Amino acid sequence: MTDADEAHATGVTPMANQIAGFFVSQGDHAAAVAGTADHIKAFWAPVMRRELLALVDAGQAEGLSDVAREAILRLR
Amino acid sequence: MSLIQETDFGAPAVRSEKTVTLTIDGVQVTVPEGTSLMRAAKELGTTIPKLCATDSVAAFGSCRLCLVEIEGRAGTPASCTTPVAEGMVVSTQTPKLAKLRRGVMELYISDHPLDCLTCAANGDCELQDMAGAVGLREVRYGYDGANHLTAAKDASNPYFTYDASKCIVCSRCVRACEEVQGTFALTIAGRGFGSRVSPGQSESFMTSECVSCGACVQACPTATLTETRVIEIGQPEHSAVTTCAYCGVGCAFKAEMRGEELVRMVPWKAGKANRGHSCVKGRFAWGYATHRERVTEPMIRASIHDPWKVVSWDEAIAHTASEFKRIQGQYGRDSVGGITSSRCTNEETYLVQKLVRTAFGNHNVDTCARVCHSPTGYGLKTTFGASAGTQDFDSVEETDVMVVIGANPTDAHPVFASRMKKRLRQGARLIVIDPRRIDLVRSARVQADHHLALRPGTNVAVLTAMAHVIVTEGLADEAYVRERCDLQAYAHWAEFVSLPQHGPEATEAVTGVPAAELRAAARLYATGGNGSIYYGLGVTEHSQGSTTVMAIANLAMVTGNIGRPGVGVNPLRGQNNVQGACDMGSFPHEFSGYRHVSDDETRQLFEEAWGVALGDEPGLRIPNMLDEAVAGHFKGLYVQGEDILQSDPNTRHVAAGLAAMECVVVQDLFLNETANYAHVFLPGSTFLEKDGTFTNAERRIQRVRKVMRPRNGYADWEVTQMLSNALGYPMAYDHPSQIMDEIARLTPSFAGVSFEKLDALGSIQWPCNAAAPEGTPVMHIDHFVRGKGQFILTEYVPTEEKVGPRYPLLLTTGRILSQYNVGAQTRRTENSRWHAEDVLEIHPHDAEERGVRDGDWVRLKSRSGETALRAEITDRVAPGVVYTTFHHPLTQANVITTDHSDWATNCPEYKVTAVQVSRGNGPAEWQVEYTAQARKSRRIEAAE
Amino acid sequence: MTVRVYVPGDMAAVAVGADQVAGAITSAAGAAGIDITLVRNGSRGLFTLETLVEVETPRGRIGYGPVDAVDVPGLVAAGLFEGGAHPLRLGRPETIPFLARQTRLTFARAGLTDPLSLADYRAHGGLKGLEAALALSPAEVAARVKASGLRGRGGAGFPTGIKWETVLAAPGPQKYIVCNADEGDSGTFADRLLMEADPFLLVEGMAIAAHAVGASYGYVYIRSEYPFAIAKMTAAIDLARADGWLGRGFDLEVRVGAGAYVCGEETALLESLEGRRGQVRAKPPLPAHQGLFGRPTVINNVLSLAAVPFILSEGADAYQEFGFGRSRGTLPIQLAGDVVHGGVFETPFGLSLGELVDDIAGGCASGRAVRAVQVGGPLGAYFPRALFDTPFDYEAFTARGGLIGHGGVVVFNDTVDLASQARFAMEFCAAESCGKCTPCRIGSTRGVEVIDRIVAGQAREANIAVLEDLCETMKLGSLCALGGFTPYPVMSALDHFPEDFGGADVRRAAE
Repeated sequence: MTDADEAHATGVTPMANQIAGFFVSQGDHAAAVAGTADHIKAFWAPVMRRELLALVDAGQAEGLSDVAREAILRLR
Repeated sequence: MSLIQETDFGAPAVRSEKTVTLTIDGVQVTVPEGTSLMRAAKELGTTIPKLCATDSVAAFGSCRLCLVEIEGRAGTPASCTTPVAEGMVVSTQTPKLAKLRRGVMELYISDHPLDCLTCAANGDCELQDMAGAVGLREVRYGYDGANHLTAAKDASNPYFTYDASKCIVCSRCVRACEEVQGTFALTIAGRGFGSRVSPGQSESFMTSECVSCGACVQACPTATLTETRVIEIGQPEHSAVTTCAYCGVGCAFKAEMRGEELVRMVPWKAGKANRGHSCVKGRFAWGYATHRERVTEPMIRASIHDPWKVVSWDEAIAHTASEFKRIQGQYGRDSVGGITSSRCTNEETYLVQKLVRTAFGNHNVDTCARVCHSPTGYGLKTTFGASAGTQDFDSVEETDVMVVIGANPTDAHPVFASRMKKRLRQGARLIVIDPRRIDLVRSARVQADHHLALRPGTNVAVLTAMAHVIVTEGLADEAYVRERCDLQAYAHWAEFVSLPQHGPEATEAVTGVPAAELRAAARLYATGGNGSIYYGLGVTEHSQGSTTVMAIANLAMVTGNIGRPGVGVNPLRGQNNVQGACDMGSFPHEFSGYRHVSDDETRQLFEEAWGVALGDEPGLRIPNMLDEAVAGHFKGLYVQGEDILQSDPNTRHVAAGLAAMECVVVQDLFLNETANYAHVFLPGSTFLEKDGTFTNAERRIQRVRKVMRPRNGYADWEVTQMLSNALGYPMAYDHPSQIMDEIARLTPSFAGVSFEKLDALGSIQWPCNAAAPEGTPVMHIDHFVRGKGQFILTEYVPTEEKVGPRYPLLLTTGRILSQYNVGAQTRRTENSRWHAEDVLEIHPHDAEERGVRDGDWVRLKSRSGETALRAEITDRVAPGVVYTTFHHPLTQANVITTDHSDWATNCPEYKVTAVQVSRGNGPAEWQVEYTAQARKSRRIEAAE
Repeated sequence: MTVRVYVPGDMAAVAVGADQVAGAITSAAGAAGIDITLVRNGSRGLFTLETLVEVETPRGRIGYGPVDAVDVPGLVAAGLFEGGAHPLRLGRPETIPFLARQTRLTFARAGLTDPLSLADYRAHGGLKGLEAALALSPAEVAARVKASGLRGRGGAGFPTGIKWETVLAAPGPQKYIVCNADEGDSGTFADRLLMEADPFLLVEGMAIAAHAVGASYGYVYIRSEYPFAIAKMTAAIDLARADGWLGRGFDLEVRVGAGAYVCGEETALLESLEGRRGQVRAKPPLPAHQGLFGRPTVINNVLSLAAVPFILSEGADAYQEFGFGRSRGTLPIQLAGDVVHGGVFETPFGLSLGELVDDIAGGCASGRAVRAVQVGGPLGAYFPRALFDTPFDYEAFTARGGLIGHGGVVVFNDTVDLASQARFAMEFCAAESCGKCTPCRIGSTRGVEVIDRIVAGQAREANIAVLEDLCETMKLGSLCALGGFTPYPVMSALDHFPEDFGGADVRRAAE
């Protein structure tokens, strides 16, 4: 892996994890899932949601946090 | 049209509840207590002769022309320095005074060149006016005595000239430099007859500490300090009031013209943002408008490897429309998008997002605010309910404690910084939270009480620790919180911040801020009276940017510092119209006025008004557009007035995204860096060439007025309209005022705004509607816009961008006074004399370790890329931290920055990049290649 | 048994060899095996007798003077240490007429004590004023000073008590006492003499002022040309602090000027103290409301502050009973120029100028006739003999087109050319002008040029008219006394000595 690849940190998985990270800090699990789902729904273009769902379905969403996974599945 | 003349009252206005009635020349006048006699007279329309007095600075009493006689008082006191008193009876014209004034003028003129007819100030000279006013007919001293008629000129400053031979030593320039600008660069050297204005200690203006703000030129009553342009071409003959197109302060200027030629920009005293002050950019750096590199004809090309071909407007518009139609036909409706510009007017921005939502038929619109203040919008909306700063700038005059976080106002918002410094000199206290020792920490007559020099990326830990101190030490304003905030959320939050791990002692190891210092700062903010917070991109451009904004909001709420003058949370906006671009619906998830696209009622409103069906899900943001382009799904982009290649992070990724598109349309004044990847170039117009409005950092909507025809043929809004029509969505605005009328119709917070009302009031701060017909200077006065203020937990999450053995230093970026943003404008002015290249600030310790000497070329390498620039060794940065600016395309600082971004808004984490610095021997290979490629890309095919 | 011997450490005495005298006495005493205690006292202020050596004897202190180092062996041989006879023997100094005729309220201790001995200070009545003041409320102290009739000794003559009451009434958490010791007038030296001879008195006066107005800090602004006074005041402040009567609620420090005459003007002095160039401020605001660092400030001359302890210890009436008209108390007058007896002469107001010049000062040392007297420093008027009946009183001098100023009297003999003195006044103003206001900044330079033209006989009448107009512009238009008072010497010279303005050619033609 080159430095440049490593540096390109966008991508739906880390983005979803970042969002989930914030909502986990706000309260209990259920609220965190709901907050994450709401945020993704409000700010992500549908194509991005589909991309993450496709990764989850393909078992390629490596490192996706539990809360983020639950949230994106809720948005299917 | 004529030249706008402003009244000089001779002394500043005084605010006082008490009034005093007195008689001046037999006429009674009532003025606030403390008003100077001179001003009271002027209120009556009585002009007392004067030279050293002007209403921008405190009375000085040196010229001795304004002497008056007061019944029952001995002597002839100066009216400028004498305050009014109840029942005072004043005579401003008596034979004794007439003789005295003639005597003083005779002395002045005995040491002044008699070259009025060939003088640059002829017709605009107070000395000339006064000689006439006092009836001076003869100078009995002759001209063979001592004089300064051969004193040397200082033409070192590119914008103004100091002609010492014409100086009357009234000290207006010196006082303006001190009182208005707060730089203290000027002084009077020598004494007695030898007294002369001197920049620093016998330096030239250019080598002194002068920041070229123009306050001295503005204050000078003679031709001593004159715009070089006036010397070269002469006096203007008409003027119009307009708004500066640089930073988010939004200074009002008079554009003084000769025909269609701009002679000078003069700050307008009635401008509520700047109150008659200016900086080197707005006052002087407008030469780019006529720079030889400006492109005024449309151009197209099939491939970015081809040279440009100049075409007609019709051809360019038709070609663009057909390309976008082709792309959408081939790749789908969502394969194109647009980027609005924070540099353009509200009307133009509104039109671009409307174009995207109607003609393109999707929500793929975003704006450069994505990369600066998007977290402000998110954070303040979540906590307060409104995506904007809470105050007006005047509020600073009533603040007792200022907290400046991640902002460098003296460089980036200089005119507001001067107002801050003025308040600080009056005794307000200052807390600076910044990794770098910015000028506000210690400069002339200003010193921060606390400088929390935190490690980059630890804002949330520092602010949460401040909350910890306030809550655990019982400094919270509980009455305010009970009345104004959501109590359950507060209780939850208070418990959270009280946890020992959030205390300053626990976080000191992470933040690098000594616990005692942080505690003292928190106490000061909580207990020092009116506390205000001013912040900039050092807050937002982090992976926790939105969280930081919310932490700031929490602090303001818990201390009761929201909802009145003197307090508040104040984002300092980087660009002239960032606030406006955000207000206008430039984000992919919301319409104008921050209403989400999923809101049925709003969507319906727009569908009806625009006659199109609108989607209920957000479109793509800029980084997502680039990702989608690399992935092969996004193919066409319309970029108005932004240079994303230079300004957005991880340049290589941006370049890859752009290169993957089939039609990139750049609308700009110059062939910018993004244009190197463009297929269509639509020449843009400057703010001097169009009508419209800008909205500054205090939500103030101000007029931009056309003073010359667009050199490129069309204002930017007209180009967008042509493109829309060509794409098949009809637009038929005759004037930007009609666009504003539509905005007002469709946006509740703008309901009361119109060009007519703006012309009448001068400016309006939104919300402006039936409840607030003249606008809203301070928000959240009785209650928060969202109802109850919402406390949000702010857990510190370290950024993924970490230092390690390979990248042991943290790079943070910022701006410098003379340059603006990517430098497209300022680099094409004489401002480059102050800052010809970006340099890397590095601490002496880190430099020593690497064998780097001051001025050496160094290589700067991050996980994203590598560039080279010269080093400047300074302890302004802490060990372990390096700093640079991003004004020059050669440096390409964003080659270094990474894709890390704010969790909520994807605002890039510009402010933290792990880097290594090593000695270099010149530009990096990448820079050489890029320069060559850019040159190649900018070729224009010779006309046949 | 030890013999106390006094040799002044005063700067003027040292200038004429006091240090060498002291050294010679010490070694002569050693050689003779006589045990002496040498005290470097201040000067009694009669400079023509310096070095004035005094020896304490059972019959009191016996003075010898003026003593030069070469005189010492002879003096010792003549029994100096027992007060033996010698041509230089003056007897008891207090019987010397110049000293005997004075009313020394302020200079009571000057020359008597060891300036830096607190024990001496106390033994001679020191600190009684402060003790009395501390027993009173601030308002009572200010009222007492007001009742004494004390007026500012810097020259303006403004009632000190009213100034103090203004500062007392001014709100503010921080107030200052500033002592103006920038004694720059030509022919004046009373401030210096006092600071060197009795520095604790000034400290005490400032402490009383601080109590009266509620100030917590003070500054003594001393001109750099006074190194001895700077050293004495600094040492006295340290001793007072160590003794505990300074530093508890009020402390002060010495600041040294940088050679600008205009810094003796109170607002320019404040600017200088704040670290800025010495430039006059427009008034209002008065320093009493917004003075040093914008805070309410008492700024008084050395002699004003030094008069206060007497007023407090002896009562306002005791001070007020001396004087003339509205000028109450005593004025330490300084006699200089071509005089027989030069020095400080403290006397109640009211003495006529003629008595002072002819009688007290003894006329011209050169033996020539007195032609003109300049009173009040370089900005004071030149008085001809015709006006010698003018009594020393603020109002009387004003009525005669002059001013008392700081009490400096400079006597000129009949060789003086008043046109060149008038020119010098303008030249002095030009050299010392801060440059702020136009009449002073440009007017003083033009004044020199116009006088030159008059003296050269160029359009004499017309240029005299120009000079008169210029003087009026400067007098009415200037921001401070420097430009405003420069017309006094110029116009008095022109009015009283018009014959000097004829120009060389005109005068020759007339002869």
